[in-house]
Amino acid sequence: MCGVNGIFAYHYAANAIDRAELLRTRDHMAARGPDAEGLWISSDERVGFGHRRLSIIDLSDAGRQPMASADGRLIVTFNGEIYNYQALREKLLAQGRVFRSNSDTEVLLHLYALKGPEMVHELRGMFAFAIWDEWERILFLARDPYGIKPLYYCDDGWTFRFASQVKALLAGGGVSRDRDPAGDVGFHLFGHVPEPFTTHRAISSLPAGSTLIVDRVGARAPERYHSIAQVYQDAESRATLRGASATEPEEFREALLDSVRHHLVADVPVGAFLSSGIDSSSLVGLMRDAGQRDIQTVTLSFAEFVGMPEDEAPLAAEIARTYGTRHTTRRIDEAEFESDLPRILAAMDQPSIDGINTWFVAKAARELGLKVAISGLGGDELFGGYPSFHDIPNWVRLLGFPSRAPLVGRLARIASQQITGMFGASPKAAGMLEYGGGYAGAYLLRRGLFMPWELSEVLPRDVAKEGLRRLAPLALIERELTPRPSLPAACVSALESALYMKNQLLRDTDWASMAHSIEVRTPLVDATLLRRVAEIVAATGQAPNKLSLADAPSRALPPGVKGRPKTGFVTPIATWQTHGALGVRRRGDAATGDKGPWARAWADVIWKGAEEACRAA
Amino acid sequence: MPRRLSVLALVTDAFGGYGGIAQYNRDLLRALADSALIERVIVLPRIAESGAASPWPKVVQAKPRYERLSYSLNALTAASRKGPFDVIFCGHLYHAPLAGALHRITGARTWHQMHGIDAWDRPSRLVCSALRHADLVTTVSRYTRKRMLEWASVSPERVRVLPNTVRSIFSAGPRSEATLAKFGLARAKIVLTVSRVAKTDVYKGHQRVIEAMVAVRKAEPEARYVIVGDGDGRVALQALAERLSLGDTVRFLGRVDDNDVVALYRSADAFVMPSVKEGFGIVFVEAAACGLPVIAGNRDGSVDALADGAIGRLIDPLSQDNLAKAMIDVLLHRPPAALAAVQRYTYPRFADHVDALVRTLAA
Repeated sequence: MCGVNGIFAYHYAANAIDRAELLRTRDHMAARGPDAEGLWISSDERVGFGHRRLSIIDLSDAGRQPMASADGRLIVTFNGEIYNYQALREKLLAQGRVFRSNSDTEVLLHLYALKGPEMVHELRGMFAFAIWDEWERILFLARDPYGIKPLYYCDDGWTFRFASQVKALLAGGGVSRDRDPAGDVGFHLFGHVPEPFTTHRAISSLPAGSTLIVDRVGARAPERYHSIAQVYQDAESRATLRGASATEPEEFREALLDSVRHHLVADVPVGAFLSSGIDSSSLVGLMRDAGQRDIQTVTLSFAEFVGMPEDEAPLAAEIARTYGTRHTTRRIDEAEFESDLPRILAAMDQPSIDGINTWFVAKAARELGLKVAISGLGGDELFGGYPSFHDIPNWVRLLGFPSRAPLVGRLARIASQQITGMFGASPKAAGMLEYGGGYAGAYLLRRGLFMPWELSEVLPRDVAKEGLRRLAPLALIERELTPRPSLPAACVSALESALYMKNQLLRDTDWASMAHSIEVRTPLVDATLLRRVAEIVAATGQAPNKLSLADAPSRALPPGVKGRPKTGFVTPIATWQTHGALGVRRRGDAATGDKGPWARAWADVIWKGAEEACRAA
Repeated sequence: MPRRLSVLALVTDAFGGYGGIAQYNRDLLRALADSALIERVIVLPRIAESGAASPWPKVVQAKPRYERLSYSLNALTAASRKGPFDVIFCGHLYHAPLAGALHRITGARTWHQMHGIDAWDRPSRLVCSALRHADLVTTVSRYTRKRMLEWASVSPERVRVLPNTVRSIFSAGPRSEATLAKFGLARAKIVLTVSRVAKTDVYKGHQRVIEAMVAVRKAEPEARYVIVGDGDGRVALQALAERLSLGDTVRFLGRVDDNDVVALYRSADAFVMPSVKEGFGIVFVEAAACGLPVIAGNRDGSVDALADGAIGRLIDPLSQDNLAKAMIDVLLHRPPAALAAVQRYTYPRFADHVDALVRTLAA
């Protein structure tokens, strides 16, 4: 887990790369890798890589980066973990490859030498890396299937730059600071800036599950090698061909355990973030089953919730007792939130209305001396945990036909906007007929912060118009449903995983944990496990039941966990932010997907903070 | 080896044309002729001197057709009778809708070339639509690329930078006393600008240089501001010089031939053009290739011509103070010539890159 960056002056007119810029970008990411730093610049000074290291696998100097191949042909800078690196290493050794370290980084060099860009299909893990091929004079970049690890780039027509963070690229000083209206609009529509857009026009996110090649003419278009929708569709095709067969519970348990086992690969202790929900507690149970004896668990508790049903601490402590973990409950109060807020806004790489919980739980983990922690993130997307799994297919079924009539939806929205305004109903209600009849529109309604027709109230009109043109939100959502699976559960899972989880939950987890030099691992966000889940969806027509996860650990969860109503990540930030003006009435957006007035007020705080930071920089 | 490509080039002018765009087109056509990936190029100009022809056998220039309708019909005829073509090269935004139509009719790939200010702001819907389907867009500078990407719905990976290239006649050489004497500039410390002086070209900043000369002359009494080039903006500039009592300090030489331009570059002390709307600004490179220190603005394509400052000094072109200071500094402490840095803009580098770009179209 680290920070990576690089510069490639690919164009003949470009000057040699600027070492000072490379260092500025690299060292802006010091928190991502406090253990070591590395720099490599090619002899002709056309290419350079930077690296900040958080040592987790092969703690020795042999694992330092940027790392070169023995023949000097390849050099890599890598952020992430390759969970199957030992198996790959064995295979490569059997093929006669000679290793100089025990790191997963070196596996990447050997794999690339053998397979070129196709290597990505062999990797199981979370990763963002760049490889310079000196013989071919090609720069190769890749990002993991879910986009757990971030990778941003900028090609100005002469010089290509990349880094793990947008703010690090900007700190280098060589990138245009023009804001992207698509970023402004994206944030207000979704509560985050959806990839490939960022807040800045010149900077793009390499899409999850994509590779990119840069040669002497510049960056080629990213190539996608993994799509969640495709996995679901493939499973449906196989089920149709061979006939659906239900996955045995034991088989599924093995798939879950396999993912957890892979996610425990490390040369340092792996802890866990523990809430009172099924996802994280089942993972802790499976960590025990995978053979880990000493587990440090951390639970957040908010002073305001003590003694209330929202307080996760008592049940989490019971779970910890069940699995015999070393457990810590870390209490957060408003004073700490307020004192941390400037640092939160500074660490937030791209504006987002989420991520606060991860900030505090990662902070707590760091205080305990942890470097790595397991998180239950991804369970709701995989196991149908959101109301959207029910709502979106229902809306599409009911509204699909009437919404097809030309202009009816838009007229209905304009008419009912007045009414919903008068009665204080959700502004989204007005758009039901216009948007609710298709998956992309229904998803926007379900997950949207502001609706497209409200944008001119929060953004300058020209920014809203240009941003909508560039962003094309419905097409952006639709892309994640291409190719389209036929089952509703598959469609919603693909949308939630490839949009909300990828662009918000995973990105927030990255900046909020890396700010404390904590690596978060997510066994429920795993392309191998996804294939098994997709088989179940194809066979049963439904997302697997959360109880199948709850029943996976060999030692049963405490009885209270399964029966506990879902609260999601509940925090009292609403109260802290608005000092009771809006109250905790509308909290818990992650659980329901309903982004009410609290989320909008918080979005305003984030946006202003981000704009100020931009001006100050 | 990929298949060799046939190209139909729609240009305003190339062989037998004047000005920067015609020169760029000639350089590009030469590079296409030099590329092993190119089978042949048919060039359709709007303007050309009579009898003008391509010196390279692979490249054939048809007769010019100025009128829009006649030009378009001629292009359609050429596409069907002289085809098939693999690539339609469109040398100016003006021809983009025609290139788009030819693409739809013939299925050929399209390559659009962008120069300066015409590509900076959103053009007509027709032009935007044609560009949406472009397979390759080349711009003369990063700045033009950036401005174009603000309005064009084309993916950035298709928009590449292909800077102007400097002709080999521009090279370092001894100061020419004869040329200086011919223009009455013996013993003068010369600050030079070479460009058109049209009313529409006020952005080039002649006026700001004249105003700065008041301060420059105080620091260096022998300083003369020499303007090469002509146009309908000259009278106003002359009046300004008179008003500032700079009648003898500012000299207008009008249009001069290439030999004199080279001699003036070799004999002057600084080249300055604080422009704010250069697509690229090849004059900076030409001056620098002759060993002359150059000063340019930092708000447009000039940044590329000066290679981010490697070839000369970049200043805020709208700051009179910065401009005067930079000019005085260069006159009093002449910086070393940036001859090595200019090499990047020589023809072999350009031709090599054209070949690499053609390869992307051939793939």
